[in-house]
Amino acid sequence: MIRDFGIVWTERGLLLNGLANTAILSLVSVVGALLLGFVLTPALMSKKPAVSRAARAFVDGMRCIPFLLFAYIVYYGFPSIGINLDNWGAGLLALTIYNAAYMAEILRGAWVALPRDEIEAGVAFGFSELRLFRRIILPPLVLSAGPVIGNQLIQIIKDSAFLTIIALPELTHAASSIQSRYYVPFAAFITAVALYWGLCLIVEAGVNVLRQLADARR
Amino acid sequence: MTTSNPVLSVVGVSKSFGDNEVLSDVSFQVGKGETVCVLGPSGSGKSTLLRCINWLERPDVGQIHLNGEPVGVTSGGVVMNDRRLSRIRTRIGMVFQHFALWPHLTVLQNLMEAPVQVQKRPKAEIRDEALALLAKVGLSDKRDAFPARLSGGQKQRVGIARALAMRPDLLLFDEPTSALDPELVGEVLVVMRDLAREGMTMVIVTHEMTFARDAATRVLFLDRGRVVETGPPDRFFARPETERARQFLQRYAGEGASSERTR
Amino acid sequence: MSAGDIAAFAQGAVVTVTLSFVGILIGLPIGLSLALIRWSNVPVAAWVVALYVSVLRATPLVTLLLLLFFALPNIGVPIDPYSAAILALVMNTSAFNCEIWRAALMNFPKDQYEAAQSVGMRAGQRFRRIVFPQILRTSLPALVNEMSLLIKVTPVLAVVGVVDITRAAVRIGAETYEPLPPFLVAVAIYAPIVFGLVSLQRWIERRQVAAEAAA
Repeated sequence: MIRDFGIVWTERGLLLNGLANTAILSLVSVVGALLLGFVLTPALMSKKPAVSRAARAFVDGMRCIPFLLFAYIVYYGFPSIGINLDNWGAGLLALTIYNAAYMAEILRGAWVALPRDEIEAGVAFGFSELRLFRRIILPPLVLSAGPVIGNQLIQIIKDSAFLTIIALPELTHAASSIQSRYYVPFAAFITAVALYWGLCLIVEAGVNVLRQLADARR
Repeated sequence: MTTSNPVLSVVGVSKSFGDNEVLSDVSFQVGKGETVCVLGPSGSGKSTLLRCINWLERPDVGQIHLNGEPVGVTSGGVVMNDRRLSRIRTRIGMVFQHFALWPHLTVLQNLMEAPVQVQKRPKAEIRDEALALLAKVGLSDKRDAFPARLSGGQKQRVGIARALAMRPDLLLFDEPTSALDPELVGEVLVVMRDLAREGMTMVIVTHEMTFARDAATRVLFLDRGRVVETGPPDRFFARPETERARQFLQRYAGEGASSERTR
Repeated sequence: MSAGDIAAFAQGAVVTVTLSFVGILIGLPIGLSLALIRWSNVPVAAWVVALYVSVLRATPLVTLLLLLFFALPNIGVPIDPYSAAILALVMNTSAFNCEIWRAALMNFPKDQYEAAQSVGMRAGQRFRRIVFPQILRTSLPALVNEMSLLIKVTPVLAVVGVVDITRAAVRIGAETYEPLPPFLVAVAIYAPIVFGLVSLQRWIERRQVAAEAAA
């Protein structure tokens, strides 16, 4: 068994490369999903029924199908309607669009829970709309939604592992290839699990910092 | 005061929470039919003392006996397991400040739950007795209601009935009226007064001075975890022996008088 | 789509639903047991459970599944794809369920528990008659949510050869060179199941809010 871990250690470059790819995938996707969410959330709450209903259909739809199925549709299915993506493109697109739906719900929940008085005070003091958004609305929104967004990031990290199936060289894929090449399944996958756990602990630590910041400002 | 066969015997009980010594060498006895009111300023350890009697809190030092039987620690010095402790607790009833009724059960079910589960008496007998208890506290019409629908005073009367349903040797009251609106306090005190008159052995932690003066057979005055003074209520209220007691009574004399006026 | 394709989808649906059902059924009581171990602070065991839950909530299901399927035979425990799938699902969902039950346990009003102690109810009775009925009610929405999440991860079981809805769709698409239609059929099968669970969750939440308002 020690020998197995020794083998994994010699292949650590591959694993670390996979870890880096997982991290990149997740970070790009969470940022993309958040940005898309910022567009979707106002659409969800729009007064025009056509807009809000379309947004609602998208969000509910995304949340009703498995992520892996959606990834397959983007990777295998889209080419038949003319959109050809390689595994990175498909993986990023699927991860981002899928989680945008969840982000939209999270942001909507945070928006609804915002205390109204602070915003009204801002309006009374004559803040312009953009300034109002940036200085009065955005900070408490991000701080209160922080923990939930953090949880969603953890979910994204885990979803990224599904992309091993379309041969994306992320962490699970790296562990898989080490395992199949050297027949060290336990050592390889346990190491991958430990690395995922480490990533998760880092995100949770970040969320805690955010929470402390939020509490300090209360 | 020592009696030959006390219902409750508390000897040398001390309890600390971390560095904070909440009870310090507390000893007293309660004879059958007595109503002992435990009085004292906030933080004097009254509630902790009460909760030590049925081992909801674990005393650090000391012995507690119910009708001669040890509570919490066997005579051999071994801490009792949950089963044995539960058996003794069936003979001690407790009424909580915030009622602690079980919200998913109706009033009648609240009363019947423990006797059915623990004492294994015939269900019909338990039901009859529960209905009788509800009548006694004046809540027969509420038997199928859920606790959420009751007023505070009604909830507490159910709480008392629930404690009585186990036919306990001793009843403990942890500030039974402190969480009630003033208009609702009276209905609960009436029930408690009747119980005292019927000879129930009771230990009551309370701030209701008028009640203590009228209904108690003895008053126990606690200050900062120690029994400072004890004696019959007329003597305690009229001629307190210690300075502490005097200060305490001065502070509460005004409150006691005004609550008397509103009743 | 041919009749054979429809049969393949039907079979896949049965596999998906069965495996999910078994996973949920076993995962619920295990999650509760883990939560109880942590709540009653059993020495050593509580710490082990905390570690287990933390790691499992951070581990992607596909990684866990591959670990179980390949590593167990490696250390002398033979396992077939379906058992590995159920084991992975149960380990995963029990960790999440543990946190759900634990939240309800920690929020349980202490004085109700003390009242049960004070009338002499023993630990088992206190839990069965007083605590459990109430934490079941408060945990129900989150538990139903967890069920819908479980169904959404079942496609990953295909990596060890389990033929579920997604795998059936992939196979049919590969055979017919038309990947999109079978995927859309797969969506049409998953969506109502998940939507049904989500609606159930919302209905439970609405009923609980109404019950509280009426009280």
